[in-house]
Amino acid sequence: MFKTRLRTIVAGCAALAMSALLLTAAPRQAAAETVDDIISRGKVVIAIDTTTPPYGMIDEEFQPAGFDIEFAKLIGAALGVPVEFVTVTSPGRIPALLTNRADLVVSIFSITAPRALQVNFSIPYAGQSAVVIAPKSSNIKSHADLVGKKVGLTRGTGEDGLLTEAAKANPGIEILRFDDYASLLQAMVSGQIDAMGGGDYGDIYLKKSDKGEDFEMKYILKTFYFGVGVRRGNPDILQWLNTFIFTLKQDGTLERLSQKYRNTPLPPLPVF
Amino acid sequence: MQSYVFQFGPILIRSEELIHGAWLTIWFASVSMILGLAIGILGAVARSFGPRWLSRIVAAYVELIRNTPLLIQLYFVFFTLPFLGLKLSSSAAAILALSIHLGAYATEIMRAGIQSIPSGQIEAAKSLGLKPYKIIRHIVLLQALRAIYPALCGQFILQLLGTSIISAIAAEELTAIANNMVMQTFRSFEVYIVVAIIYFVLVQGFILLFQGFSRFFFRWKT
Amino acid sequence: MNLREFGFGEFSFLLLSARWTILLSLIAFAGGGILGILVGSLRISASKPLRMIAAGYIRFFQSTPILIQLFMAYYGTAFIGLSPDPWTAAAITFSLNSAAFFGDIVRGSIEAIPSGQWEAAKALSLRFVPTLRLVIFPQALKLMLPPTVGFMVQIVKTTSVASLIGLTELARTATMINTVTFEPMLVFGTVALIYFALCWPLSLLAKRLERRLEVEGRGRAALA
Repeated sequence: MFKTRLRTIVAGCAALAMSALLLTAAPRQAAAETVDDIISRGKVVIAIDTTTPPYGMIDEEFQPAGFDIEFAKLIGAALGVPVEFVTVTSPGRIPALLTNRADLVVSIFSITAPRALQVNFSIPYAGQSAVVIAPKSSNIKSHADLVGKKVGLTRGTGEDGLLTEAAKANPGIEILRFDDYASLLQAMVSGQIDAMGGGDYGDIYLKKSDKGEDFEMKYILKTFYFGVGVRRGNPDILQWLNTFIFTLKQDGTLERLSQKYRNTPLPPLPVF
Repeated sequence: MQSYVFQFGPILIRSEELIHGAWLTIWFASVSMILGLAIGILGAVARSFGPRWLSRIVAAYVELIRNTPLLIQLYFVFFTLPFLGLKLSSSAAAILALSIHLGAYATEIMRAGIQSIPSGQIEAAKSLGLKPYKIIRHIVLLQALRAIYPALCGQFILQLLGTSIISAIAAEELTAIANNMVMQTFRSFEVYIVVAIIYFVLVQGFILLFQGFSRFFFRWKT
Repeated sequence: MNLREFGFGEFSFLLLSARWTILLSLIAFAGGGILGILVGSLRISASKPLRMIAAGYIRFFQSTPILIQLFMAYYGTAFIGLSPDPWTAAAITFSLNSAAFFGDIVRGSIEAIPSGQWEAAKALSLRFVPTLRLVIFPQALKLMLPPTVGFMVQIVKTTSVASLIGLTELARTATMINTVTFEPMLVFGTVALIYFALCWPLSLLAKRLERRLEVEGRGRAALA
């Protein structure tokens, strides 16, 4: 009797494992290299992050929503193919492209020279200033005022680079690196940090929290521009994206998105 | 796919940072092991010899902690305790969460150890006129510790590995420093290989240390 | 965009997202279980190299954090041309990792079977694999059951780490909901309760199985 039971248990486990493998090892499509590849494949795979409000988040129906998500959907509509979203964390953006997990990355992807060694960027479709945000009650006007304070930021972002340098130049600034923006905002609201580096929409966003009226933007670090990330060596896709972004800028779509999600106009978007 | 060229150079020139990270990991692990063991001993004594209400509270603590993830416990300590008026730094919050976490396991392990001691010994000690405190300390705890030492060490090792997730609340340790390096060098595979090796060495070191301890402390014969 | 209340919709969304936690746990359990039996059997096989390989496997996976293993599988496999999505990376990592722990459980249970059983099987001229399958496993299975169920609790809890590579399971959904509600107490409290509801029955079952085994053991000892 025990033997049959053993056999059923083993068979059950095997079946479970097989189905699990089938479930996870879905066939992988070949990497798209041209716009035609994407269209003939019938879908565009775009990497997003749903924990970066107001660019990427979930709406009342628990679907992805936000500036980046709506922009990504416009890309799909213009190509005439459905968009397949894959969610990535911010450190996962470059790997998502390098490993063919996604055709494009649309996820507050600041254009920087070191990143451009790994991936190509389109011209910017959005931009925002990285700023220092702190409670209204605190008197912070420059890096020097951050000495002796805890400053939170998201690991690997533009703010990380700028504030890490500031901390080197002004000993006494304590930097706390969080793995995602959600944790950073939460730490600010909980009072775990005295100031934070974030996007200029951050204080708008914090205002909506219970204690949010207490926060304000203190000073601007630098303006960052978000581009669409593309695997290197795909000039056709890159050229199409640049053209597409140009048209959206001309017809006011990008400005509309900015007002809708950020409550502020876009900064002037330079091109390269 | 172009063939991949390994580049350990950018990582190895920053070995100072990695050593610092390893040191921080050792620190978080060791402090929380000591505090966790202290919680475990107190908890197990309260659970075994304390009044019923206390025993119940300890049991609830053990069940609650052992059945929820450490990650959620970290979030809870760091993000929600400030609303109750307790604001801790990242490191302090990490130590608190790690100790509470280990304390629950240590309580359960120690309790099993206490149960393994024949009741005849306690009665014999009582008839010799030993005070309850001395009975617990000399007869019960020492023997219990020896009986459950391997299980406890296993839990300690899991604790050492568990410290890898405290970067989620911005505490600096080996994994956090590794992630910083990945961001700066984009050499994820090399960084994680090196870090895996460091963790491996740390674990083997702790195992050796634990073995040395047991040879030193548990010398008496049974 | 406005923040919103943590209401019933948010609660049920969290509750529903637990299905991914459960699925990942089942995959880890099934994959790890099968591999674990293999690893555990190799660990006690007659061939020394095989024993060493199995021991090395167990030691590696038990001596490095699962988070690092996960990062290696997810970010680090690009160099051999692999590009797992978060699910594949997590499924493989959790299976391989739990196989090491299951392997240890299997080995421990098999070694607890009296050597007389092996000798008897040898006397019946059974080979290694048939001995394992027909004689040893059926007896060891009973010993394996309590620690296995106990380890399932660990698996369920550890799957939360997969949120750190962006896999949308319970813990990651909690972060998502938290960014749009800013109610950490409610969000993380609810999530803790959901994990507890998943794990506690398993813990109780493990304890009961353990106790039954102890009682049986005592009975057998009294008879002997």
